[in-house]
Amino acid sequence: MTALAQALVQLGEFSQRLSRVSARTYQNPYTALDWPDTLNAEAGWFTSEELLSLHGTGYWDELAEPERRRLSLLEAANFYSLNIHGEKSLMSGLAARLYRPDLLDFTSYLHHFLDEENKHSVYFGGFCTRYAKVYRSRQVPVAGDDRPRDVEDFLFFAKAMAFEEIVDYYNQLQARDARLHPVARFINDNHHREETRHLVFGRALVSALWQAADWDTATRADLGDQLTEFLLASWREYYNPDVYADLGLADPWGAAEAAWASQAQRRHRRLASARCLSFLISLGVLPKEVTDAV
Amino acid sequence: MRSELRSFVLAKARGARPPQELTDQTPLLADGWLRSVHLPELLLLMERLRGTPIDVENLKAGDFRDIDTLMDRFGHAPAQHTAPAQHTAP
Repeated sequence: MTALAQALVQLGEFSQRLSRVSARTYQNPYTALDWPDTLNAEAGWFTSEELLSLHGTGYWDELAEPERRRLSLLEAANFYSLNIHGEKSLMSGLAARLYRPDLLDFTSYLHHFLDEENKHSVYFGGFCTRYAKVYRSRQVPVAGDDRPRDVEDFLFFAKAMAFEEIVDYYNQLQARDARLHPVARFINDNHHREETRHLVFGRALVSALWQAADWDTATRADLGDQLTEFLLASWREYYNPDVYADLGLADPWGAAEAAWASQAQRRHRRLASARCLSFLISLGVLPKEVTDAV
Repeated sequence: MRSELRSFVLAKARGARPPQELTDQTPLLADGWLRSVHLPELLLLMERLRGTPIDVENLKAGDFRDIDTLMDRFGHAPAQHTAPAQHTAP
């Protein structure tokens, strides 16, 4: 029995319970939201001000109120695009694990997981294609390393959990932000509600996999390094030069570097990453000093 | 750009290998100097240095083989670029 299968046995009843909740709250993403024909980019807020990537930087002070609001629309599209690209990878990995012989008992929940991720992308894509665009990802698919399957399984679920933990920080805050346009609030609130199950499952699974594995110290250290690098690469994409070019900044790459390096944004990333990092540190996956790297 | 690329690769290798082992023909991914997770940041760096976006739709691992390949593939900006410029750095 693989480490993943052992871990999932421990989660058997738990995943069945999550499956029942998913079935009970099943949703049609094509009818659940009334999409306005157009949005006035300079009249509303689509991302909470404090979560914008230029907030607290010198660039923010230079922007007039309508430009800040337009940035909030562009960054909403960038945030949803990050989710689309992240969920494409996640769906691919989940689909690859469907009906795997050692995971047969958990296929039901994997189906729900996959279904819900696809629905999230319907919302994200619906917003981007109607009111802005899907921003490109610079994540280049290259042939993966030839890792043992249990290592690959751990990395897959740990990356998914880390990515979704940070996304959920944004979702939770924005679902409650009364300044936001109702469409933006709905998308964030809906994503948060469904991701709550995925996050609980992800934490339990990552924890079980880490504890069940018989990896040596070097392998565990390497996994910690890879997760740290993944987190940094994920965060980098929140500072997208393409957004800054669309906003009209003269040096979009310079703005991305300056925003990334600003003290205000460092504080923001640490705050937004705190819950995820705390979990991974307590599990022993990441060293304590990783908080300085983010 | 070549020296910036070299610095980037060495920073990502984090002292795991002697810097003198890195040449412009050293396989970057195959020999473990870089991982796929480093490529988005590498693309950002090259875009910033050449001042234009890189079309990511048709990239493949071979485009990142070594520093010579990076220079051949991405070292020169296409003829035109259209980033509307209104705000300058504060």
